[in-house]
Amino acid sequence: MPHAISTRSLTKKFGRREVLHGVDFAVETGSVFGVIGPNGAGKTTTMRCLLDIIRPTSGEVRVLGKDPRAGGPELRRRIGYLPGELFLEGRVTGRKLLAHYQAISGPVAPGRIDALAERLGLDLDRHTRKLSKGNKQKLGLVQAFMHDPELLVLDEPTSGLDPLVQQEFHAMVREAQHKGQTIFLSSHVLSEVQQTADTVAILRDGRIIAVESVSGLREGAVRHLRLSANGISAHDAGALLGAVPGVGLVEVLDSGSTVTLTATLEGDIQPLVRALGTLELKDLVLEEPDLEESVLKMYSSPQEAAK
Amino acid sequence: MSTTTLPLFRRAFFDSWRSTLGWAAGLAAATFLYLPLYPSIGGSAQMQDMIDALPAEMTKALNYDQIATGPGYTQATLYGLLGFLLMTIASVGWGAAAVGGDEESGQLELTLAHGVTRVQVVLERALSLAVRVVLLAALVFVLVRLLNDSAQLDIRPENLFGAAVLFAGLALLSGTAALCAGAVSGRKTYGLAAGAAVGVLGYVFNAVGRQSPDVEWLLNLSPYHWAYGNSPVANGADWAAAGWLWGISAALVALAAFAVDRRDVGA
Repeated sequence: MPHAISTRSLTKKFGRREVLHGVDFAVETGSVFGVIGPNGAGKTTTMRCLLDIIRPTSGEVRVLGKDPRAGGPELRRRIGYLPGELFLEGRVTGRKLLAHYQAISGPVAPGRIDALAERLGLDLDRHTRKLSKGNKQKLGLVQAFMHDPELLVLDEPTSGLDPLVQQEFHAMVREAQHKGQTIFLSSHVLSEVQQTADTVAILRDGRIIAVESVSGLREGAVRHLRLSANGISAHDAGALLGAVPGVGLVEVLDSGSTVTLTATLEGDIQPLVRALGTLELKDLVLEEPDLEESVLKMYSSPQEAAK
Repeated sequence: MSTTTLPLFRRAFFDSWRSTLGWAAGLAAATFLYLPLYPSIGGSAQMQDMIDALPAEMTKALNYDQIATGPGYTQATLYGLLGFLLMTIASVGWGAAAVGGDEESGQLELTLAHGVTRVQVVLERALSLAVRVVLLAALVFVLVRLLNDSAQLDIRPENLFGAAVLFAGLALLSGTAALCAGAVSGRKTYGLAAGAAVGVLGYVFNAVGRQSPDVEWLLNLSPYHWAYGNSPVANGADWAAAGWLWGISAALVALAAFAVDRRDVGA
């Protein structure tokens, strides 16, 4: 299956400052691909290169099988783009603005704009510059989704949206994927992309430092564990836990008649459950894996991520 | 494919109708302010005495040396001064906003992410600028024609038409200079500065160049002088000058399109 997006050794210099140092990644057609990274990592620059807003200094970019520059308007009609910072200042209503973007993008199905606006709770008859940040963002999402493009490039799509609308957005992404569209989105935090993305690339200082499936991240991620048990000494309980593979950072919180410990777990749960079976448990909390934490670790230590 | 023709032109043109209307009102006010006064001011002997009493340098700088005739009066006051000022400001403002201002405000990025080429963006927006400038010049033409009899101006229509073409061309030159500098730099301020420089320097070079044969060469550098050097309202247009004004404007637009097409946007 051809890739919807692929880059090879993509570099970009602004003057003497190089902001992308050879970015390589590929997005499979029909997948949801998230790129995350701290501010200034190069997410926006990468996305602008896909749309031919910025021209790469070197390297190769292919979007829907074409070079963005050579692909021109025909290629961009097949893409829906939401910029990272959306400025809509005109004294026009949302409806008129969308009609304008409709005129310069791919064909929009009748009623599609109203359906999307209603879904996101956006009033199309208000002047754009009077809209709040969240409502402008909704307008941006409508213009990106309205022509059902083959590829959606969304730079921090949920920024400014309240949680309910974020949920609606996630549903829109899943539906788009269902229809065979490819979605490439970015965020500075993982939690925003992990709900929808199949694959996550982590970009740091202009380099991709890891590309992982979300389930892979989950496996490698750290879970926090807290348990209380009776009839065992704190020392013995600590030793028991410490012997389980993947368990670390064992800490005793309470060592009275009921012992309370916390620890972290990386990897499989099964050995832990087996070990815990011998205990007289009063309480057990095994948290959702904290992907954010493992990603933050990658942000700060490239060696760790390279393994 | 897009179903509407010239979508970018339409947006640039129709979204700025308030601004167009505002400048039209300003130009109409200037026309109605100056021209009906001609019978009592320009043509009167008293006024002529006053102008004779002014320093010759000043009357030359203001083009008031021929204010005693209807066409000369219209040339000096409306086309040469207030109308020129208003048209130039309008044109420079639109030109600087067309590409540079749009890029600076972050909106150009989204437009370029759609099914348009950069050359198309520059050309359609330049067309919108030109159409608005022509509309304003046409409005002034119509109003002067309307006032011609009542204000005893005695302007020949063909001369007035030539003056309107030069009036539009002169303002458009400042506007396209603003568009070009804005497009090359991506900054509205540079566009405004370039447009204002063309307008102001053109005026100043004309005013200074007319003072003495030693500085006459300045006139050659003044678009204002190219357009108005032979008083087109009175004597008819210098069509070669009109060609230069419109031609250089077209070249500046082409340069803007060329520049925007080759650089990063919003970087």
